[in-house]
Amino acid sequence: MNNKSNNGFNTWQKSFEKETKKNFSDANSETDEGIEIKPVYTRDDLENFSFVENNSLPGQWPFTRGPKASMYTNRPWTIRQYAGFSTAEESNEFYKKNLESGQKGLSVAFDLPTHRGYDSDDDLVMGDVGKAGVAIDTVEDMKILFNNIPLDQMSVSMTMNGAVLPVLASFIVAGEEQGVDRSLLSGTIQNDILKEFMVRNTYIYPPEPSMKIVADIIEFTSKEMPKFNSISISGYHMQEAGADNVLELAYTLADGMEYVRAALSKDLDVDDFAPRLSFFFAIGTDFFMEIAKLRAARTLWAKIMKDFGAKNERSLILRTHCQTSGVSLTEKDPYNNIIRTSYEALSAILGGTQSLHTNSFDEAIALPTDESARIARNTQLILQNETGVTKTVDPLAGSYFVENLTEELSKKAWDIITEIEELGGMTKAVKAGIPKLKIEESATKKQAKVDSGSRVVVGVNKYKNPKEPSVDVRVIDNNRVRDDQIKKIQAIKESRDTIAVEKALANLTDAAKDETNLLAPCIEAIKLRATVGEVSKALEQVYGRHFAKSLSVSGVYGKHFEGDKDFMKVEKKVIDFENANGRRPRVLVVKIGQDGHDRGAKIVATSFADMGFDVDMGPLFQSPKDVAKDAIENDVHAIGVSTLAAGHKTLVPELMKALSNIDPKSKIIVFVGGIIPEQDYEFLYKNNVSAIFGPGSNIIECAEKVIDLISDNLSKE
Amino acid sequence: MELIENIQNGERAAIAKAITLVESSKDSDQQISRQLISELIKKPGKSIRIGFSGPPGVGKSTFIESFGSYLVTQNYKLGILAIDPSSQITGGSILGDKTRMVEISKNPNTFIRSTPSRGALGGISMGTREASIILDAAGYDFIFIETVGVGQSEIVASNLVDIFTLIVGPGSGDELQGIKKGITEYADIFIVNKNDGELKIEASKTAADYKSALSYYKKLDELEKQVLLVSAIEQTGMEEVIKTINQIVDQNKLKGIFEERRANQLEYWIEEEVKNIIASDITKRLSSTGNISKYSEKVMKNEMSMFEAVEKITKDTLK
Repeated sequence: MNNKSNNGFNTWQKSFEKETKKNFSDANSETDEGIEIKPVYTRDDLENFSFVENNSLPGQWPFTRGPKASMYTNRPWTIRQYAGFSTAEESNEFYKKNLESGQKGLSVAFDLPTHRGYDSDDDLVMGDVGKAGVAIDTVEDMKILFNNIPLDQMSVSMTMNGAVLPVLASFIVAGEEQGVDRSLLSGTIQNDILKEFMVRNTYIYPPEPSMKIVADIIEFTSKEMPKFNSISISGYHMQEAGADNVLELAYTLADGMEYVRAALSKDLDVDDFAPRLSFFFAIGTDFFMEIAKLRAARTLWAKIMKDFGAKNERSLILRTHCQTSGVSLTEKDPYNNIIRTSYEALSAILGGTQSLHTNSFDEAIALPTDESARIARNTQLILQNETGVTKTVDPLAGSYFVENLTEELSKKAWDIITEIEELGGMTKAVKAGIPKLKIEESATKKQAKVDSGSRVVVGVNKYKNPKEPSVDVRVIDNNRVRDDQIKKIQAIKESRDTIAVEKALANLTDAAKDETNLLAPCIEAIKLRATVGEVSKALEQVYGRHFAKSLSVSGVYGKHFEGDKDFMKVEKKVIDFENANGRRPRVLVVKIGQDGHDRGAKIVATSFADMGFDVDMGPLFQSPKDVAKDAIENDVHAIGVSTLAAGHKTLVPELMKALSNIDPKSKIIVFVGGIIPEQDYEFLYKNNVSAIFGPGSNIIECAEKVIDLISDNLSKE
Repeated sequence: MELIENIQNGERAAIAKAITLVESSKDSDQQISRQLISELIKKPGKSIRIGFSGPPGVGKSTFIESFGSYLVTQNYKLGILAIDPSSQITGGSILGDKTRMVEISKNPNTFIRSTPSRGALGGISMGTREASIILDAAGYDFIFIETVGVGQSEIVASNLVDIFTLIVGPGSGDELQGIKKGITEYADIFIVNKNDGELKIEASKTAADYKSALSYYKKLDELEKQVLLVSAIEQTGMEEVIKTINQIVDQNKLKGIFEERRANQLEYWIEEEVKNIIASDITKRLSSTGNISKYSEKVMKNEMSMFEAVEKITKDTLK
């Protein structure tokens, strides 16, 4: 800094201190990522960068400023809304309507049974069919899903990781039977299994065979489907599970490196497949941080791919889809979500995303209605057509603050990536459970900040709406969908050549025993009308089904509440309870059905334990019967059911039935947390649910309510 | 008591409530608990109680899942008592064993109860012995007691079971020197887990190290300590484990060791109960007199030595 500007800065600093009545040295704030944010940035903050290059241009190394030279000035980002529910017929209608209203690409949401490789007629999945996505049992469903949607023209993104083989096979066969050759199919399959083991939990097989399947798909598509993205390496679900931006960035890129290595093990050249790797990030409410994250991601990936020996420039470029944050949506004062989503969308655009999904405001409560989906889509149409953001490429380049933040994020993420590499890569780290634990720790910290009020969430812990609006939500009749699907499966099973199907499935099982690429035998089986469940089971015979070990953090939540009055009040109630009843209040926290999103359940478990409760954790994917047995054997006072996938209307009554089947006099109370539309509250209360906690509930208040309910219940004896 | 009948009929809820009673710190619960145990103990069942211990990370729960699954396919009824550590600071606990026992926890022939350790010495919680008596009365063939595997827990746990096993991982042979003589005396079986994949050779080597080291500890009238290789993940070696357990039980019964151990354990139990009552009585007396703070003040002021104070307080309290 030369003398002149130094004098200028000193003057500024004095004014700042005078205005704020604060020492300048105390004026920094710290982000979730542990990055210090200064109240002002200057030209000096552009110096000593090791990742960001100050004079780079869009479409040029290190691609910080965007994958293409012209970016949105030539073609705006793709509006790609993620949707799917109930049957293929209904989802098809919904897709066609959206395409007519200005949407450009399709993005298919599958239901949980399809993700986990179960057919709709499997007893294990009765509460989940058609709930959080569309049910696909055979190629016939896939054909209906794309009825009158020409697959040679429409790019289709599919969020599928567990049952990736039968679903991609069904897509290929559906295309062929539409008369479209597989080489013309365009779109993306998520195919990112590592993050499933970390956060989302919709895996089927153990990590090693799962990685083999990922590599099979990269190999097959690189040879036969040149327009198709073989993988979408996703940080989205990590942020949704509570990861801060550094963790999301680092783990996603480290996952990417692991997939590159898996593909290289197939004797592919890095440039054969690298241009078809794509990414997927979440965009939360930390406006500048999210912009910096996308810029940092491109910068780091270019470096990583160069180190892998990529020669083709397109191999160095990180292309990404983004989605606005689902966890930032609140059930309280839900129209605020439109505003949150708009700012998040703007972040994604200023960060330079290639495609974007904007959430509907009612998604903290249920699946979007036609009306809320329209508002979400229009959020992007207005950005593209009215705001002028498409006219200049990377408009924040050169901003002292944004460039500095990009560098800081890159540095922090690089440290974590280096750590993971030293451990031997992401598969090993995932098997050891390290990333999962780190993410849960970050999630618990964030929750504690909201509950303690140190982070404001408008309409939730401050500026509450005295008159909560009621919103209409989409209701899915799960039993009807299930019955429809079962009928379709039966009809197909009666009309197909059973012997040929069995032979194809046996071939598939054999193929899994050696190193053969599994996609070709899958396509054969699917063509003959084998079901998604049958194909998955044929592979399960060789690979087995994976069950995750569950580790949990403790003490993280409680640390934020030292000396907090409400927290201490609950702690005292717990001790009083123990003195009166001879033991602590004991709560079983569970997920039921095929929904693997366990962030909420984990946070509830650790924070309740930090308040002194004894908390039993159930494994994932339990049936209501399993939960009841677990609860009764451990003589818990209460069961907390976490539900995010709309299965509660089937699963909670089943749980009640199962409890009274084992113990007709059972006094165990049940409370439910997660995404539950208000319309369902009455139904749940009628089924003897004692309390319901929506997204954004304050956990200390929940704990107090639970302990009060338990005490009341015991005093009735 | 109706409860007794329901336990003997194997009713899940009754067994669970009875365990709650024996674990309760409430006086009135303890009184009922004593009556209950006195009744149940009169008609003992046929259960064999097996203790599992071992350092963290060797895959205890995974082994129990694997071995337990094997036993239930052989139509055995299996009760599992798992002790989880409570937090020292908050007193709360996360009981997560069942997340590692997915398959057996679903099986109708199992009963799995997790218990917070409540800071009890040795990681065996108050009521574990009583809980095993309840499961015995309810007709379970095997009762597993899984401990947190730290400190003195092995010694305490071995006083509750008929067979005591220590689970170790490959490569732990080097630590053998460090293993307290006590454990090698108390443990009947050493199970080397993770005999799979890359670790196979290491596991075999570890097993051999244990075998040679253990040969020094052999007592005249006891069976040789058994060292077994298993893989919990691949579910191999499980037949051998149950065969060995049955063998030891048969041998011990034949030689009277089985009964002798149970008699010793009863003695230990009585001693513990008496000590507990005396200790809690003394604690009450100490706090009612306020002697400790009174005399430590004097020690601080150099009016008397620390040992004089101890002697005085002891005399005062015991009179």
